[in-house]
Amino acid sequence: MSKPTDLVQGTLDLLILKVIALEPMHGWAIAQRISQMSNEVLQVGQGSLYPALHKLEQQGWIEAEWRDSQNNRRAKYYTLTREGRRAMKQEAAQWERLSSAISLIVSQA
Amino acid sequence: MRIGRIVRLRLRSLFNGKQVNQDLDAELRDHLERQIELLRTKGLSPGDARSVALREFGNVGLIQEQVRDARRVRWVEDLWRDATHGVRTLARSKGFTATALISLALGIGANAGIFTLLDQVLIRPLAVREPDRLVQLAWRGNAVGANYGGGSLLSYPICRELEEQTDVFDGVLCRHPTDVNFSTGRENEPVRAEIVSGSYFAVLGVRPDMGRLIAASDDRQPGAHPVVVLSHDFWTTRLGGAADIIGRRVLINSHPMTVIGVAPASFRGVDLAGLPAVWIPAMMKRQATPEWDGLFSRRTFWMHAIGRLRPGVTTDQARARLQPWFKQMMQADLRGEEFPPVTPDQRRSFLASTIDVTSASRGVSGLQTSFERPLRVLMGGAVLLLILTSLNLAGLMLARGIGRTRELATRMALGASRGRVARQLLVESILIAIGGGVIGVAAAPLVSHMLRSFLPAGANVSAEIDGRVLAFTVATTLVAGVVCGVAPIFQLRRLHINAAMTERSAATGRTRVRARKLLICGQIAFALILLVAAGLFVQTLVRLKAKGPGFATDNLMMFSLDPAAIGYGDLQAELAMREVLRRLQQRPEIARAAVANSQILNGGRAGGSLTIGAGERRVTDRFVYRMRVGPGFFETLGLKVISGRDFDDHDVRPLGTPPGPYRTAIVNETFARRYFSDRSPVGAHIGAGNRPDTPTNIEIIGVVREVSRVNLRDQDVDQIFYNFWDNQSENGTFFVRMRDTPESAARAIRAVVAEVDPRLPVRELTTVDDQIERSLSTERALATLSTGFGIVAVIISVVGLYGIMSFVVTQRRQEVGLRIALGATRGNAIWLVVREALIMLGTGVGVALPAIWALRQIVEAQLFGVGAFHGPTIVTATAALALVGVVAAMLPAWRASLVDPNLMLRAE
Repeated sequence: MSKPTDLVQGTLDLLILKVIALEPMHGWAIAQRISQMSNEVLQVGQGSLYPALHKLEQQGWIEAEWRDSQNNRRAKYYTLTREGRRAMKQEAAQWERLSSAISLIVSQA
Repeated sequence: MRIGRIVRLRLRSLFNGKQVNQDLDAELRDHLERQIELLRTKGLSPGDARSVALREFGNVGLIQEQVRDARRVRWVEDLWRDATHGVRTLARSKGFTATALISLALGIGANAGIFTLLDQVLIRPLAVREPDRLVQLAWRGNAVGANYGGGSLLSYPICRELEEQTDVFDGVLCRHPTDVNFSTGRENEPVRAEIVSGSYFAVLGVRPDMGRLIAASDDRQPGAHPVVVLSHDFWTTRLGGAADIIGRRVLINSHPMTVIGVAPASFRGVDLAGLPAVWIPAMMKRQATPEWDGLFSRRTFWMHAIGRLRPGVTTDQARARLQPWFKQMMQADLRGEEFPPVTPDQRRSFLASTIDVTSASRGVSGLQTSFERPLRVLMGGAVLLLILTSLNLAGLMLARGIGRTRELATRMALGASRGRVARQLLVESILIAIGGGVIGVAAAPLVSHMLRSFLPAGANVSAEIDGRVLAFTVATTLVAGVVCGVAPIFQLRRLHINAAMTERSAATGRTRVRARKLLICGQIAFALILLVAAGLFVQTLVRLKAKGPGFATDNLMMFSLDPAAIGYGDLQAELAMREVLRRLQQRPEIARAAVANSQILNGGRAGGSLTIGAGERRVTDRFVYRMRVGPGFFETLGLKVISGRDFDDHDVRPLGTPPGPYRTAIVNETFARRYFSDRSPVGAHIGAGNRPDTPTNIEIIGVVREVSRVNLRDQDVDQIFYNFWDNQSENGTFFVRMRDTPESAARAIRAVVAEVDPRLPVRELTTVDDQIERSLSTERALATLSTGFGIVAVIISVVGLYGIMSFVVTQRRQEVGLRIALGATRGNAIWLVVREALIMLGTGVGVALPAIWALRQIVEAQLFGVGAFHGPTIVTATAALALVGVVAAMLPAWRASLVDPNLMLRAE
């Protein structure tokens, strides 16, 4: 059995986009949410989140902003941009196609 | 929007790296703190929580690095690191860097310097509104008219009719450059003027800097519009930029005129030959050019016509649309009373004429025609030089690469990718190219100022380096840098780390030496081409000077007078001319003096066809150069009248009688030989012109040797000299053979003219020697610069040859030692090396010869007395290059032969 952090290339991007599509979030919260939503099956290596976040920001899919969070701490919040939303839909559709193809093969075998 | 944001982010990553890093630190710290808190709530101790959080997070340093990578600016940071590293490495190998920089700077400097002038003369469009829509209109064919001026000319009435072709043009202007005497009331000053149609400024789209410009309303009635516009330059430099200039009265050739405006500083006219000081309406032509009129003559061709095409009309369309009107106009002209009688042949060739439409986006200028070829030749030479320096640099890089094999292998062994090392090498090449470019641009003014000094002094061309030249230089620099950088990168592909690390790498060494040898062959080829070109141009200059103008030029001066320009009437002017001549002849400083209608060797030409009346009527089939000279002209120049006699005082028309037709003429030997073969032309009769009814009543009274009139290249031209005093003699040029220095003669001349009238300006006072020097400026420019290029090329390629031979000798020391030990003589050993050099030289020459053959047509027109594929020049240049090359190869060979074979063999 492979380690839970081994994500298919590119899926981490999709997960991040999905998670912050709901509301702007900071890095730690994104990591928490991904593991909660996947019922702790997907344990994103917490550090590996950051290169992905910065890459998405450079691509213009998400925007970053320092904001106050609860109990007066500042955190860097990431928000989905309009292009990001469009990209997310495409990536999701792509994922659907890929996963259904794989499950088709797996279930037949 | 999106692009803007991304660019902003990247720029922030790049230039605000510190802040970005702090930002990242803060973000990661925030994450860890939150995780620690979470773990604490689950009951872990502070220390445990911390270590677990860190473990879950992973390698913080690595993550930071990955984030930086993700921000995609790493290559720029690397580039910066490469650059600083490159500067440090280059600074360590000073000899290499200095050689590379100097050789590249020479190549780039020469290119930038020549491009500065080439750009202005041949490329840059006029500084007017939409210059692309401007076209020049010209008569193609036999116009049956008299030309006043150079280039493609039309008459004023034809220009005005062109203006009416509104389906083709938005407007048409016409202009004629001339010199006028300008005065604000005190001294007269000859200045450059432009006689222009009322449409001139409107068609060009020029707006006034002050006042107003000449408009259509200033071009209606002859003599009724005494107004002038000043150029910004003239207004600021000569009139002190006086604010109250508008409305002021000035004198143009002693005619009062009113200043109505000042043109903007950005407007430099339409002719590179010179920026006018004043613009004068065409209707004031009689005042501006008192010597001749013909404003309304359809057959007096004197103006350049420039049209502004309607938007969307191409030059081809314009040409096609204008022909019907043009045909009609010619038919009407033919029937008009002004049209002279013509032979059927002339009539046919007249009716076969067309109107030509060519782009005038760069204006109209004889400068372009006369300097286009020389400038292109020089630019070509400079480009060859740049290629040569780039090859040389590539060779140097290769040589350096061989020395650095271990360094590069070590870096690759330590994990640097080939691409990464290649980039480092490329960065070094580009650094050198940039350095060379900077020094080259700094050196470029030396070349451009030198070249500028060969152009006419008044020409509207600047030697200053501007933005366009800088852009050109940046482009050449980058090309040179990449060309030089590619060589060592190719060499890198062959680098075997293991072999390189274990020192001996014979295989890669040999291929690299072969590459370097090829580069040397290329350099030798280019050097030979440049050397041959230099030889040809120098010989052209020498031969022209040796040929001379056909008479002794020492102690000979000339100057011109034009009394009409300060308001003299014809009779008064003629009297002044005679008086000046009489007084000159009496001055002790002056041995002889004579008068003629024009200066000589100033590029000007006048003439036409003649009808020879002897026996059967014949029309000359070549252009016969015409000049009008007074008695004593040939004697003053030191020319013998070969047969017959010179004009004498009996031929001088008595003062006060009206000028009549020519009665007597003297022809040159060439003319006599061509049309009278071995008979003497003396006593024969000719007529000026080629009409069927041209009377042949001018008697040839003498024959003289040929004299260069236009420039020293004149050879085998037919010349005819009429008597100056037969015709209009109100202005002219005096030729003076002085006894003493030019200074004392000049003083005497000015004194004589001042005695006659202190207001009379002495124009164009010069020694004939100086005039000849000026007339040779193009030839001198070519000879000087090509010699410079040739010398630099030879030095660079010979130094390159020396470098590679030294290297080869070092590599083959053992072989040489072995051979000597086995009984070979020193001579044998030296021959071994010299032979290699000779092979390279031979290959270079073998490549160069066909290239010289192919390039011969480009230089042909610039040469004199020597062919473009001139055997002796090529042989001499090759021999010189080979000699220097062999000496360069001998030095290391000789050193190698001194090696003690015992020592050498034991070293193995």
